[in-house]
Amino acid sequence: MSAEQIAFWVFAPISVGSAIGMLLQRNAVHAALLLVVNLVTVAVFYLMLDAPFLFAVQIIVYAGAIMVLFLFVIMLLGVDREEALLEPLRWQRTGAVVLGLAVLAELVTAIHAGVGFAARGPAVFAEGASTRALARTLFRSYLLPFEATSVLLIVAAVAAMVLAHRKAPAPPAEAATTEPEELEVAP
Amino acid sequence: MRTPVAYFLVVSAALFTIGTVGVLVRRNALVMFMSVELQLNGVNLALVAFSRLHGDLTGQVLTFFSLVVAAAEVVVGLAIIVSVFRRRRTANVDDLAELRW
Amino acid sequence: MVALDLVWLVPTLPLAGAAVLLFAGRRLGRLAGWLATATVAASAALAVGIAARLLDLPEAERTRVVHLFEWIRAGSFRAAAELRVDPLSVTMVLVVTVVGALIHLYSIGYMAEDPRIGRFFAYLNLFVGFMLLLVLAENLLLLYVGWEGVGLCSYLLIGFWFELPSAAAAAKKAFVTTRVGDTALLVGIALVFFRLGSLDLSRVLDPAVAALQPSGVFTIIALLLFAGAVGKSAQVPLHVWLPDAMEGPTPVSALIHAATMVTAGVYLVVRTHVLFELSGVALTVVLVVGLVTALYAALSAIGQDDAKRVLAYSTISQLGYMFVAAGMRAYAVAMFMLVAHAAYKALLFLAAGSVMHGTEQETDLQRLGGLWRRMPWTAATMAAGALSLAGVLGLAGFFAKDEILAVASGTGRGAVWALGTLGAFCSALYIGRLVSLALLGRPRSDRALHAHESPPVMLLPLAVLAAGALGLGVLMTDPRTGTLPAFLAPVLGEVPHGEAGLPKGVLVALSQVTALGGLGLAWYLYGSGRVEWLALRERLAGVQRLLAHGMYVDDLYAAAVDRPLRAAAAALAWVVDARWVDGLGNGVGRLTQALAGAGRRVQTGLVRTYALAFLLGAAVLLVYVGVRR
Repeated sequence: MSAEQIAFWVFAPISVGSAIGMLLQRNAVHAALLLVVNLVTVAVFYLMLDAPFLFAVQIIVYAGAIMVLFLFVIMLLGVDREEALLEPLRWQRTGAVVLGLAVLAELVTAIHAGVGFAARGPAVFAEGASTRALARTLFRSYLLPFEATSVLLIVAAVAAMVLAHRKAPAPPAEAATTEPEELEVAP
Repeated sequence: MRTPVAYFLVVSAALFTIGTVGVLVRRNALVMFMSVELQLNGVNLALVAFSRLHGDLTGQVLTFFSLVVAAAEVVVGLAIIVSVFRRRRTANVDDLAELRW
Repeated sequence: MVALDLVWLVPTLPLAGAAVLLFAGRRLGRLAGWLATATVAASAALAVGIAARLLDLPEAERTRVVHLFEWIRAGSFRAAAELRVDPLSVTMVLVVTVVGALIHLYSIGYMAEDPRIGRFFAYLNLFVGFMLLLVLAENLLLLYVGWEGVGLCSYLLIGFWFELPSAAAAAKKAFVTTRVGDTALLVGIALVFFRLGSLDLSRVLDPAVAALQPSGVFTIIALLLFAGAVGKSAQVPLHVWLPDAMEGPTPVSALIHAATMVTAGVYLVVRTHVLFELSGVALTVVLVVGLVTALYAALSAIGQDDAKRVLAYSTISQLGYMFVAAGMRAYAVAMFMLVAHAAYKALLFLAAGSVMHGTEQETDLQRLGGLWRRMPWTAATMAAGALSLAGVLGLAGFFAKDEILAVASGTGRGAVWALGTLGAFCSALYIGRLVSLALLGRPRSDRALHAHESPPVMLLPLAVLAAGALGLGVLMTDPRTGTLPAFLAPVLGEVPHGEAGLPKGVLVALSQVTALGGLGLAWYLYGSGRVEWLALRERLAGVQRLLAHGMYVDDLYAAAVDRPLRAAAAALAWVVDARWVDGLGNGVGRLTQALAGAGRRVQTGLVRTYALAFLLGAAVLLVYVGVRR
């Protein structure tokens, strides 16, 4: 067994396990942390699949920025909120699990039929698997989508500010006092 | 000896499925959102795996874009959750059921 | 002498009068009556002129078809607006216009106080217009238009005082009953077209048609046409509407239900007699129906207490005699009876109207009496009419009825003669009873006591008609060489002549015995004061009731036809329509609501259930795609 294979068989269970764990956690913060674990394992998979740039970006953006954002909001909304165990909708859980397993089975069948469990892919990438090659493809063939996504990011940032904005409360009526009061920062 | 690409695809399918079930089963809006991110990750993994299978970098490029868009999406989505929370004081999606019969 | 081409004015003038009066009648007030009378009188004058012109022409050329305009042309079917001028139609036109004009004049006085007088004269003119159209029509479809038109006017006029529920009901009854006949007539007309290829009288009266072989088709056609006549001329079994039609104003009864509309049936049979002769049995049917009706109605008339109802049944009976004549192929005799009857029956009705006018609308014979003192002119003219009807020698009615019985006897129809004579006796009896109870003796009520004579505008027509009732016999001195039969011969043929039966003199003597006997008996019972007829009535209460109710034919119809139809209608309305049809409609609505009610539960508003649905769909889709590959 090569190192790569060992790595796979170590990280694959961690990945699936952390995912399932995230599913089962009642505490939101715990779930978020488990998700971080999962994201890191996925990053490792990227590395194994000859995508070093994505490995880095995954950790920086996903695990680093997005999950932090999630944690911020969880704190904002109340860190100790625990989800009730009782499921009000009768068939929801059963249905979800059954259908989920069915879909999984279908997908595995499709993989087997389509790709086959023996395929490994070419030994070397056509243009090489380096970040340089990726950059070349990205900035040549996909320049327009690239610029579009930059616009998208700006729009998203502005949208978030607008959505989360709260009007400052009016100053109290007894501002007749001559002494300037300490400004209260609106929460 | 590398691992067959199909194994990665199986993992990706598993992640996707777990994410889906998570969306269905959890009631906390934030955890639901996190499950959606899990789904996205599964899909990204599949993209990269296929890229590896065909020796074509297009898959990785797509993953890159998917990542960026996911980030933007999280930003907006969380902003929505926050403002809904401010209004309704709840993070339970079952409480947001006005568009019903 | 008037050019024959001007004949189109004859029906058009009254129709125009009707149009004017319908729109401006209210404003004209009493003037409406004079206008209406003027139009009919003008038509009468024209008719006289046309008749004179016709007489000027040699016998063979006395038929003219005046083309007005192309009306219908559909494939092989052609019906043009054409009028036929020939001796028969001219005779009818003269009857309708002259009697019509007199009755219009009379109505000016009779309806003077009615607020809707304009409407009345409009309808009256409209009726005359349609009736003239009927008798002048060159093709059967145009005749049918006139036929329906007079039916409509009859309905409008019977129900003129529509606030009275009895009048409205009577109008409806008249219309519905004649409808039965009208429908048969329409089918008959259609069959005529199928058999002969055209509805023109020129075709029907074509000698080529008369030379055809008799066959079943013609029997059916003739019987259908006769059914129409039965309805319109109130023969048994479709006679029930005429007694009730007395609800209308008396001039209406005189014009429509004595002189003109009811004679349309006789005219139809006489006009299309060629078709009847092409059938073996049709004429026999006509004869039998006429005879049965004549006898039945004469008997029923004896038991009526309302003066107008006596006259109504009398009309039914007299029309029956006309059909008897037609059934024996003595068409000219039937036509003369039509003319004479128009005179004396209209006279009797108008006289009855005069009585009503003078006694504040009293028509019950039990409450009249002694009117000869208070209303001498009315009484005299009424008596003249009565004598004519009874068939007293030398009067118009004698020539009519006697000739019919003579033909019956002469052609070997002994039974017809016997029953006809019996009917004549009853006729004399009922008319004698009417006159005795109304005019003779002492007034039996306040209204009769304080009766007053009618104004001259009403008395003049009475006088003219009385002259006719007495003197029209001159037209029928002989069934073959008399003025009228000779005039009509080119169209109607010769009156059948036979030597069977009793000699003429004996027949006349017997008829007088019958007439005078009936009148005498009536006078003895009711007028002489020697018999307590009230007590007699009590003792024969059963018979009296039977006759008064027209032998319960009406009640039979009410039970056998009316009630089942009403029940069926109620069932259809309340069960089929209200429950099933509406139920079906409502049921669809309810089903939709139920489905929607169940269906809307899908909209839970919960994102998670929607997501579950997505997953389900995705799973199915994956299976589908997988299987396809």
